[in-house]
Amino acid sequence: MKELVKSGALDAELAAAFEASPNPYMLLTPDLRYAGMNAAYLAAVGARREDLLGRPIFEVFDSGPTEDGRANARQLRASFERVLREGRRDHLALIRYAMPAAGPDGETVLQERFWSATHTPIRDASGRIIYILQHTTDITELEQLRRRAAGADRKRAIDSILSGNVLQRAEHVQQANRELETERNRLLEMFMQAPGFVAVLSGPDHVFQMYNPAYAQLIGHRDLAGKPVREALPEVVGQAYIGLLDAVYATGEPHEGRASRVELQRTPDGPLETVWLDFIYQPIRDDSRNVVGIFVQGHDVTETVLSTERQKLMIDELNHRVKNTLATVQSIAMQTARTHRDPVGFAESFQARLLALSHTHDLLTRSHWEGADLRDVLEHETKAHGPHRISLVGPPVALEPAAALSLGMVFHELATNAAKYGALSVPEGRVLVDWGVSDQTSPVLRLAWREVGGPPVQAPERRGFGSRLIERNVHHDLAGVVELDYAQSGFSAEFSIPLDGRSRQ
Amino acid sequence: MSETLTGRRILVVEDESLVAMLLETILEDMGCTPVGPAATVEDGLGFATDGERLDAALLDVNVAGRQVFPVADALKAAGVPFVFSTGYGEGGLPDEWRGHATIQKPFTEAAVRDALMKAMGQANV
Repeated sequence: MKELVKSGALDAELAAAFEASPNPYMLLTPDLRYAGMNAAYLAAVGARREDLLGRPIFEVFDSGPTEDGRANARQLRASFERVLREGRRDHLALIRYAMPAAGPDGETVLQERFWSATHTPIRDASGRIIYILQHTTDITELEQLRRRAAGADRKRAIDSILSGNVLQRAEHVQQANRELETERNRLLEMFMQAPGFVAVLSGPDHVFQMYNPAYAQLIGHRDLAGKPVREALPEVVGQAYIGLLDAVYATGEPHEGRASRVELQRTPDGPLETVWLDFIYQPIRDDSRNVVGIFVQGHDVTETVLSTERQKLMIDELNHRVKNTLATVQSIAMQTARTHRDPVGFAESFQARLLALSHTHDLLTRSHWEGADLRDVLEHETKAHGPHRISLVGPPVALEPAAALSLGMVFHELATNAAKYGALSVPEGRVLVDWGVSDQTSPVLRLAWREVGGPPVQAPERRGFGSRLIERNVHHDLAGVVELDYAQSGFSAEFSIPLDGRSRQ
Repeated sequence: MSETLTGRRILVVEDESLVAMLLETILEDMGCTPVGPAATVEDGLGFATDGERLDAALLDVNVAGRQVFPVADALKAAGVPFVFSTGYGEGGLPDEWRGHATIQKPFTEAAVRDALMKAMGQANV
C-alpha cells in the first residue's frame, strides 16, 4: 500500500486500513506486475515487499514444474485476463497454488496451498482499468480437512459442516465453467460473425438477450438489449410476428418463415421499409425442458424476392403483349378473309398487313420501344411505291410506341388503297403528305394525305376493312379524328391526333 | 343454342381497335348487337351506367394501362353478366375475380360464345 500512498491514489487512512486488514490483498498493474500488497498478503505468501514490488507475479510464483501447477497458473492468468477484457469482477472459487515455504531442514520447498480469490478492476477517472485488486482467502486447512474426510468416510459429520461439499461443488462448477468458457467463446464468435441475422430472446415477453451485427443491420442499429420485442421494434406489433413468437413460446414448436414480408423502421424518421426474410424461431429449453426463450435466425432475401417479382412482371407483360399481338393478327386475318374470296389475294393482302405491323415493330425495336419518328413511320409504309412519287413535308414528330403502331397500320392502308384504286395506280399520280403540330401546351398533330393526278375517284359502295381500320384506329386507339374525302379530283384524308400521351394503350 | 344470344346487346371494352373489331365481328356473326367498343375504363363505366339495356359484356382486363375491375364492379352491381378477356392467362385475375368466366387471347368464336353462355346462364340461376 506504500506505493499507493506515494502516488496519492489512496489516501493515507485508507491505505493504513488496508495494511492492517487480516485479509490478504494485493494490487497488480494491467501487465500483471505487483503494484502493492498488505502485510497479511506478505505473511500468507512468505515474501518481503521489496522482493515483489514491480515484478511480474508469474515470475515470482511460477507454480512449480508440475502439469497441475501450470494448469493452476493458467487458471489464475485467465481470471486476470477476464477482468481486463470484460471490466468486471471475477471469482475463482478454488485455486490450488503451491507457495515456497521453509522445509523441516530450513531449505525452501513448495508447499501446496488452496485459495479462493476475487479479482476486482480498479479504474481511474477516465474509466481505464489501472489495477486489479486481488482479495485472497487461504482455505488450505478447510480443503485438506474436506479431502481427508472424503477419503475416509463420506458420511462423516465434517461433510455437513462443510455444508454439503460446497467446496467440491464449487470446484466442479469452476471446472465445468472453464470448459464451457472456451466453447461459449467459440459459439459467441460464430454467433457474432454469422452472415445471417441471429438473436436470442428470453422469457414470455421475448426480451432481447443478444443479437449479432447482421441483426443490428436488419433493424437499423437500434438499441434492443434488455427490451421486449414489442417495445424494441414497435412497428412489428400487428404484423403477426409477436403472435408467432408467443405460439413458439407456448407450444415449444419451432416456426419457419419463407420469404416472409416485414415492414421495418430502419431509420428513425424514415418511412417503413419492406424486407423479405427467411427465418426460423427455435425454442430454447432449460434443463427441465421448459421453454425459456427463442432463438431467432435467418437471412434477408429481399433482393431475391424483388428480382423474382420483376422477372414475373416482365414475363406477364411479355405474355400480355404477345397474346395481344396474336389477337391483332387474328383480327387482321379474319377481316382480310372477308374481303377476299380467292386464297391468293387473301394471302397477298394478309401478308402485306403483317409486314406493315412488323416494319413498325422494327422501328420501335431500334429505339428500345421508346417511340418512333413520324417521318420514319411514313417512309417505311410508302417506300415500296417509289419514294419520288410520295412527298413527305413536315417537322420531326416523336410518336409513342402505341401511336406509331396505329399510324403504321393507317398509312399502310392508305398507301395500299392509293396503289389499287388511287393516284399510285397510274404512272403520273402522286401523293402529297404534309403535317404540323399545333398548340404546344397540348400538342395536336394535323396531317393531310392528298392524292393528285390519279383516275377520277368514286366513293366506295360499302366501307371496306381498310377504311374501317383507319377510322377505328384514329378514333379508338389515338383518340383523334379523321375525315376521308372521296373527291372526284383525288382522295384525301385529314387527321387531327392529340400527342399529349392520350393515345390509348 | 345461339338463340339465347340472338339480339343480345353485348358491351365490348377493349383498347386495341383491331381486337375490338374482331370481337364485334364475332358478336355480329352470332346475331348479337355489339355496344361500344369502349377504349378506356371511363368509357366502359359510361356504357355500364348510362341506363341503356345491356345483356352481357366482354371486358379486356388491361385497358389502356389500367385494370378494368371498376367496370366489372359496376356491371355486377347492375346484375349484368360479363366475361373477362385477357392475355395474362389464368394467373392474370386477382383473387376477388378468380374463377370468373374468362376468355384467353387470341380467341375463337366458340370460346367467346361458350363463355358468354356460361356467364349469362349463371346470372339467370
